[in-house]
Amino acid sequence: MTAPIRCLLGMLGTDVHSKGIRTLAALLRERGVEVIYLGEHNTIPGMVAAIAQEDPDVVGLSFSSGGYVDYTAQLIGAMRAEGLGDIPVMLGGGIHPDDHAALTNAGVAALFGPGTTTDQVMDYLAGLRR
Amino acid sequence: MTDPLTLAQAVLRGETRAAARLITLIERDAAGLGPALDMLHRRGGGARVIGVTGPPGAGKSTLVDAMIRDWRDQGRRVAVLAVDPSSPFGGGAVLGDRVRMQRHATDPAVFVRSMSARGSTGGLARAAAAALAVLEALGVDIVLVETVGVGQTEVEVAALCPCVLLLQTSAGGDMVQAIKAGIMEVGSVLVVGKPTLGDADRTARQLREAVELNPRSAGGWRPPVVIADALTGRGMEDLRTSIDARFDWLAAHPEIADAEAAGRALAMARTAALAALAHDLRMLGADDPALADLAARVAARQANPAELRDRLIAAIALRFRTGPSSSP
Repeated sequence: MTAPIRCLLGMLGTDVHSKGIRTLAALLRERGVEVIYLGEHNTIPGMVAAIAQEDPDVVGLSFSSGGYVDYTAQLIGAMRAEGLGDIPVMLGGGIHPDDHAALTNAGVAALFGPGTTTDQVMDYLAGLRR
Repeated sequence: MTDPLTLAQAVLRGETRAAARLITLIERDAAGLGPALDMLHRRGGGARVIGVTGPPGAGKSTLVDAMIRDWRDQGRRVAVLAVDPSSPFGGGAVLGDRVRMQRHATDPAVFVRSMSARGSTGGLARAAAAALAVLEALGVDIVLVETVGVGQTEVEVAALCPCVLLLQTSAGGDMVQAIKAGIMEVGSVLVVGKPTLGDADRTARQLREAVELNPRSAGGWRPPVVIADALTGRGMEDLRTSIDARFDWLAAHPEIADAEAAGRALAMARTAALAALAHDLRMLGADDPALADLAARVAARQANPAELRDRLIAAIALRFRTGPSSSP
């Protein structure tokens, strides 16, 4: 029996649309994932410190407002600077297809835009075991 | 750097990243943890270990957040192990304690780790004791252990912590609740939180009366009752003073303190042994045709359930004689 996947979920900046991330947290819990829930209004340094202390298998960011390309690039940059670059970052929410290339270049491991099913997220998480 | 012993040495140098990694390995039952945990256990004991327990939604995490702030003002370094429940259905969890304490995330003198109970029913997790050994060896002044929201009987925290804060809200029950057995007996300090929710003075009065009625208060530690508002900070200094008083009392009564510590060690070992036995028991029988056959005969009323039980016990005993499970 393998240990459950630990997934840190949070939002960055001033985005207050937390319905999506709370829904995802409940859906993942239902599928046996341990969600470390950070909620909204996180800073880059605060989230990086939480990642360092929690040592999750994966980090999930939710965005429902603009600016996500910058925020995500900053977070991944800060994670790499702290030696946390081996932990994959996945993105969900209102992600525009035009931004996919920029996000992938920034180091995002998986993108889940509108219409994503729980199965798709679970398939990705199941392939992650470190 | 994933070798447990190397990580343990880094933990002893105060490296929090190593602590984070080691706790992950503990949760995964990784190989080679034994010597690392042995070393950390022997080198620990420098931190004050304080449990925080109480019903769901009583405000444990918010109280922990306020205590961290209060201790940081005093220049003390703090580590927190925050346990939240796992689903009895899918095994998943939403670990939401950290969100109350996240303002301390970038303070290098504060370390917070969330943990799922992973099916444990005593208020903590199977990995909690070993994780606590890691945090104690980190060189912090205070280690807080926050339990899942408890009912009346989840008292495992008392086997881990020499000082337990039992938190309830000002809307707590009446006198009969206050003198019931179980959770009400494990508090070293009784905290009345959310004072604006109900009649905090009345709740505190009833708790004090219950302490007076408790035969164990005579000559022993008499748990103080503190009204604390984590949001405004009112009462937080009282709480810190009460916690200090508990540790001062233990220092002044070394025989009692030592006996209590030995009692906790035995209680923890019992819990761990039960968990190991339960784990091995669940593994038994699935691929054992003789056991399956006996079970079928019990079901067909051709054999006695007690016989099946004794067969399981005998199989477990044999297993532990030939080499027990190596879980930490």
